[in-house]
This record gives sequence, structure tokens and C-alpha cells, in this order.
Amino acid sequence: MNEPNRHQPLDVGLDAPFPAAPQAEQSLSRASFFTPLFQTFQKRSIEQRVLAGFGLVFAGILVISAISYRNMTVLIRNGDMDKRSHEFIQFLGATGEAIDDAENGHRRFLVTGDESYLAAYHTLRERAPEYIRYLRELTDPDSTQRVHLSDLEQLINQQLREERAAIELRAKTGFDSVRGMALTGVAKTALDSARRLQAQMEQEETKALAQRVIESTTTTRSSIILLTIGALLLFVLLAAVYYLIRHDITERRRTADELHRRGELLEAANKELEAFSYSVSHDLRAPLRHIDGYASLLAKAGAISLDDKAKRYLQTISESATRMGQLIDDLLVFSRMGRQEMLRGTVNLNQLIAALRHDLRHDLQDRAISWTIAELPEVTGDAAMLRQVFVNLIANAIKFTGTRPHAMIEIGSLDNGPDEAVLFVRDNGVGFDMRYANKLFGVFQRLHRADEFEGTGIGLANVRRIIHRHGGKTWAEGALGEGATFYVSLPRVRPSA
Amino acid sequence: MTAAKPILLAEDNPRDAELALAAMEEHHLADKVILCHDGAEVLDYLYCRGHFKTRLQGNPAVVLLDLKMPKVDGLEVLRTIKSDAALRPIPVVMLTSSREERDLAESYALGANAYVVKPVEFHQFLKAVKELGVFWGMINEPPPEAANRVAGRST
Repeated sequence: MNEPNRHQPLDVGLDAPFPAAPQAEQSLSRASFFTPLFQTFQKRSIEQRVLAGFGLVFAGILVISAISYRNMTVLIRNGDMDKRSHEFIQFLGATGEAIDDAENGHRRFLVTGDESYLAAYHTLRERAPEYIRYLRELTDPDSTQRVHLSDLEQLINQQLREERAAIELRAKTGFDSVRGMALTGVAKTALDSARRLQAQMEQEETKALAQRVIESTTTTRSSIILLTIGALLLFVLLAAVYYLIRHDITERRRTADELHRRGELLEAANKELEAFSYSVSHDLRAPLRHIDGYASLLAKAGAISLDDKAKRYLQTISESATRMGQLIDDLLVFSRMGRQEMLRGTVNLNQLIAALRHDLRHDLQDRAISWTIAELPEVTGDAAMLRQVFVNLIANAIKFTGTRPHAMIEIGSLDNGPDEAVLFVRDNGVGFDMRYANKLFGVFQRLHRADEFEGTGIGLANVRRIIHRHGGKTWAEGALGEGATFYVSLPRVRPSA
Repeated sequence: MTAAKPILLAEDNPRDAELALAAMEEHHLADKVILCHDGAEVLDYLYCRGHFKTRLQGNPAVVLLDLKMPKVDGLEVLRTIKSDAALRPIPVVMLTSSREERDLAESYALGANAYVVKPVEFHQFLKAVKELGVFWGMINEPPPEAANRVAGRST
């Protein structure tokens, strides 16, 4: 009954992190049980795997401890019971001797009438209940020995009763009346039964004792086997966890090195780009200035001799040079928006829009624009960059409603969850064909001819670049002649932050 | 008298120089302009050495300084001027094509008195240079000559 299940730690260990795995399936087919399990394991993150590994080790230690504790208890209990059994057998023998002594003494008394022979009989009479109680204490409550003891007690009482009757008869009527009794012994039947019972009890106890010895040996052996297997399993598990961790560390170190290397490359590339845009800024502008300058000087110097056609040519040269200067400036701004360091903070869009409109009021004196501006949420971002976004969006709205007698510009926000704010600028201007919506945010992409609406086509590209750097998105809706709506999404300020 | 003080223009590009002089000419300031073709010449002028050994004593009314110049660049000249006690009072105006934040920040950190980006459009360039010439050459009262410097250099 105490045979420990040697496979137990293995089973428990495997089941621990996957409690859903049914036992029955496991016994049906090991291969089909392990395959999905292994796949699940492969999918887990390194932290989960290490945790699972340590979980297994912990579970293994728990199981081994529990079984060792139980085996130890069994051994201690068996030892205890052995001691009691030995004592039981010994005392049972002593009791048997006492019964024999009483019988012998009583028979001598019957023959001789010498009361001193009755000492053993009296002792048994007085002590019998005590002997039985003590023997009873040495046995288990539910054991057959208890039943035997009750029988033995009755037999002893019967013997004592019969002997007393004989003693009393001898005392009253003398030896003759009890001669027969003295020869055969009065309580012969009871005594024989008692002796047989005693022998049987002794045999039973010895047998139980022998069985316990076997049991203890088995338990000890299985404990040793269990501990050995458990220790081996734990060692393998720990080695696996160690391998996992070491593998992960190596991987991480390699990734960090790679990132570092790429960071350096990126930094070098960025420096190069900066130098490039610097020289663009400085060197490209000078010849343009010269073209315009000398064309202007020529126009002035030859004001009298040049005809209108020649003057118009000079005018075109100047305008082209100026436009190219504008393009270079825009490109530089666009490039700067891409690499400029971002200063993140909380941006109050309501204040930002109000300030922008204040700045624009002089330029819009001869325009009739009705503004609808909703309460806008606070967002996180670079205030200067976001200002650029709304400068561009509002400037576009103003520009493309230029042909409308009643321009309407609406600025508002959409509810889009607690993490993101979606803001839009809507106008009733000339709009655009949705087929070209994807071109709107490209660099130098224009949907209108230069003589319809001025501009270099960099504004929305800047908007997209800035919003992307904020982790947001840009998109637009519109229809030809029916206005346009430009949307930007931005991370919202968390209430706690 | 302020009108006597020259305007020192440091410009390595002859075309830019010519355009700037053309702009100055509109206000008859051209003859007050002393043209230097690189940073070393500017320092030669200020310290009365080399080509300018025999020039009249005294600091210019203003130095219009290009950033990118051969030999000694604009920022280096600026640093030299602003770290010399005798030259420090001279107003220095950066006149450059660069709108780079880095250049702006560095110039002001070194003590530039103004920073003007040369406009591409000639009319605006004209206007800018003219206004610079008028303001620094006529309106602005330059710092008084330090007596000790004049004394130290006169012999």
C-alpha cells in the first residue's frame, strides 16, 4: 500500500504549467501529447519559458519533498510499531507464564492445602485486568489482536472462576472432593484455549512484524530511487533553464551590438545629410541670388534700350530664380522637420489655433471667412512642429477657399478613444478628386496648376512628416468643388500624466 | 563724425560683393565700403597689418560678415573680434545664406550683434543690404574709439 508511484514526479512536473492537459490523453499516446505541448512551448516568450522551467523545478522539489516526507513518516511509524510488537510479544509470553504459574500453584494447593501456593493465583487475579489493558494499549484499535485480547480476557476470567470454585471447595470439604480436579486441572479447557490463543497471537504479531520489515525496506529503497531520479530530473531541468537564459543573453547581446552598430551608421548618415543640406542651404542659394540680381541690374541698366519682350524675359528669369529659392527653402524646412530633435510636451491646441488666427488676421482683412472652431483636446508633442502642422492646414484651407464668396473653415476633433485624438480642418473650397488623395501628402505634389493656386507643394508633406514623427496618421477626404477635410491623429494627453 | 567711419564688408564671392556694392550705391554708401575677400583680410584690416598696414587708424562702423569664407571663416573672425577688448565694441552683423539653427545659435553665442539671411530675391537683397548700410553706417551711433588703443597703435 505504501509503494510510491515512481512516475509521479515526472507526470506532475509535466502537467504543472499546463493544467489543462488531461491525464487520460497522456496515457493514450505520448507522442501526440508532446507535439502540441512542444509547439506551445516554442511560441512562449523567453520569460515565460524560464518561468515555466523554474516552475517545473519548484514543482519537482515539492513532489520529492512530499513523497520523502511521507516515506519518512512511514518508516518512523513502522519503527514505532516494531517496538510495540516486540513488547507485545514479550508481555504476551509473560502473561502466558503468569497463567501457567497460577494454574500450577492452584493445583499444588489443591493437593497440599498449603495456601502459599496460591500466591501466583492471587497475583493473576489481581493483575489480569492490568495485563490485558497494557496489552490492549500495545495494539491498534481496529486490529484482530484486540478481538483476541477480549477472548483471552474471557478465557483468563473463566480459568480464574473455575479455579476459585475448586479452591473454595477444597477449603470447605478437603482434598478428597477435589482429588480429580487436582490431577487433571479444573480449567483445563479454558487454559488450553488460552494457550492456543496466545500462541496464535504471538504468531500473528511476528508475522505482522516481518511484513513491516519488508515494507520498510521497500519504502527505503523506493525513496532512494525516487530521490535519485528526482535529482537527475531537476538537474536536467536546471540545465535546460540555464541553457535558455544563456542563449537569451547571447542573443540579446548580439542584438544590442547590432543596434549599436546601426545607430553609429545612422548617426554618420545623418551627419552627412546635415552637411549636405547645409551646403544646399548656403551654396545653392548664392547663384540663384546672382541670377536674379544680375537680371534685375540688367533690366535697370537697359531700361531705355530694351523692348518689352526683352524686359518680360528678364522678368521671367528673375521669377524663376526666386521660385527656385523658395523651393530650396521649403525643402530645407522639410528636411529639418525630419531630423530636428523633438521637444515633447503637452500642447494646448485651442491656444495654438487662437494664436495662429491672431497672426493671420491682417492677411485675411479682405476675405470673408466664417470660422467654426470646436473645443480641442490636449495632445502630447512638439509645440513648434504642431504649430507648423496647423499653419499648413489652415493656410491650405484659406488658399483653396479663395474662389469662394463665403468661405467656411471648420476645425474640430473626433472622438477616437482615450489614447488618440483625431483633429480635422474642413473647408468648402475647391476640394480635390479622391482618386488623387494618396498624392496629396507627397513632396512637391500638387493637384492644381501653378497659375490657379500658388505654392510649392511641400506643406502637406511637412504635415505628414511631423505627424508621423509623433506616431500619428494623416488622411484626407474631399470631392471636386465640394471642399476638403484633412485629418491628423495625435497621441492624447493621459489624465494622470 | 560718424559718416567718416567705413563699413567693412567681408564677402568672398565677387558677385555677391558686386551686388552688395550696387545696393550700397543706391544710398551713396559704396565709397564707404571696404571689401575684404576672406576672414584673414578682415583681421588684417582690424589689426592694421599686411595689406592694411598703412591705413588710417580707427575701427569700422560695422563689420558685415559672411559665414563661409576661405582661410578664416566668419565664425572664427567673430570669435577673434569678440574676444579682443579693443575690437569687441565693433558691431558685427552676420550676412549669410545660411538659415541653419546651428549657425544662428553659434553666432549669437559668440556675440554677433545681428544676423541677416541674404534673400534670394534681388529686390529683397537690395533692400536688406541698403537698410543695413543705412542703419549701421548712418543711423547707429558707433562706440567711441578707445583712447588707449589709438595711442598704442599710433607709433
